[in-house]
Amino acid sequence: MIPATFDYVRPATLDEALGLLAKHREDAKVLAGGHSLIPAMKLRLSQPKFVVDIGRIPDLHSIAKQDGKIAIGALVTHYEIESSDVLQRSCPLLPEVAGKIGDVQVRNKGTIGGSCVHADPAADWPAAMLALNAEFELAGQGGSRIVTAKDFFVDMLTSATKPDEILKSIHVPVTAKTAAYVKFAQKASGFAIAGVAAVVDKTEKGVAVAVTGVAPKAYRATGVEASLHGLELSAATIATAARKAADGVDPLSDIHASAEFRAHLACVQTKRALELAASRA
Amino acid sequence: MKLTARYAFNAPPEKVFAALLDPIVLQKCIDGCEKMEKTGQDSYDAHLKIGVAGIKGSYVGKIRIEDKNPPQSFTLQAEGKGGPGWVKGVAKMKISPAGEGSEVHCESEGKVGGVIAAVGSRLVEPMAKKMLDEFFAKLGNQLG
Repeated sequence: MIPATFDYVRPATLDEALGLLAKHREDAKVLAGGHSLIPAMKLRLSQPKFVVDIGRIPDLHSIAKQDGKIAIGALVTHYEIESSDVLQRSCPLLPEVAGKIGDVQVRNKGTIGGSCVHADPAADWPAAMLALNAEFELAGQGGSRIVTAKDFFVDMLTSATKPDEILKSIHVPVTAKTAAYVKFAQKASGFAIAGVAAVVDKTEKGVAVAVTGVAPKAYRATGVEASLHGLELSAATIATAARKAADGVDPLSDIHASAEFRAHLACVQTKRALELAASRA
Repeated sequence: MKLTARYAFNAPPEKVFAALLDPIVLQKCIDGCEKMEKTGQDSYDAHLKIGVAGIKGSYVGKIRIEDKNPPQSFTLQAEGKGGPGWVKGVAKMKISPAGEGSEVHCESEGKVGGVIAAVGSRLVEPMAKKMLDEFFAKLGNQLG
């Protein structure tokens, strides 16, 4: 199908874009890489009256390391993250996740900001953002505000971004090399049926584990984390803890995987992600 | 898709039963219900605009109430059609006294088709659950 009729505007500055959103609110949709929005528009599942293309706005495309944190502009593409030397050295989880997203075309055009605001329950970024306790800088006409990952992913396809706000940048910490992302993907779409991001802190003897694709939104596997807190990681301790990976969630169910299978995969992928992360020094 | 749920209310079964069959109450409790038209003795047309985030669609649902057994139970048959797809379902409602109030046991079974089922089937069940929960929460508020 082709999209329903819409007006297209391409603001040159962030202020201009924010002005348009303030004016049109729920009638407008922000366009970044377009690989979630345009298919939805073509299927007419999404019918915005105004498409606000932010692709040419400057200052949203950079990756910059500063004081133990890395600021990633919202319009940085998955490919740019995949091939970033700065991130490979300072936060290697992100290039690993980026390389597993969708396909080459999606990685060339899709942006980390667009993906996070879209908040698909099976997207890859939310798992990494939760595991890293990333911070999201949201710009509005009144100024900027910071939202932590825990509060940013509100529900299925719903982020904390208000109708008149634009995600400006995402801040992640510098981490050790002991991090990993493993994913059991649906073969046609590449979406995660179960994707697990694990960050191991050997000094603090703690782990952060986040799961995507299993529940209506990505979540931290707090049961797993608590089980491993203060413990030496071994095949045995990881295997025991990983059994809690689906605790407290209502797994999704569809033709690709039943709820039971998703819950099972959450545990298997958690075990694999932790083993892989711990093995990297 | 099968959904089963229980909801508790402060009102007695007779009041809950009456509310569940009152189109004015229903229109207030269904989020996105723009209009509820009575089309027959026990049938209605519900005009809905429902969805998640930017993916909202307009549907017209034909609702039929059957097997009325006041104030204990009734069956609701629904058939909805809209741009994004169609839905067909049946819900069996049982209302029983619980202390000072009542408990509603809702057992529903539904089929979904069209675009929304083809590309978004994994979204349908959580959405349906959410809508049911929101409906009964609002009904609770209406009944006081």
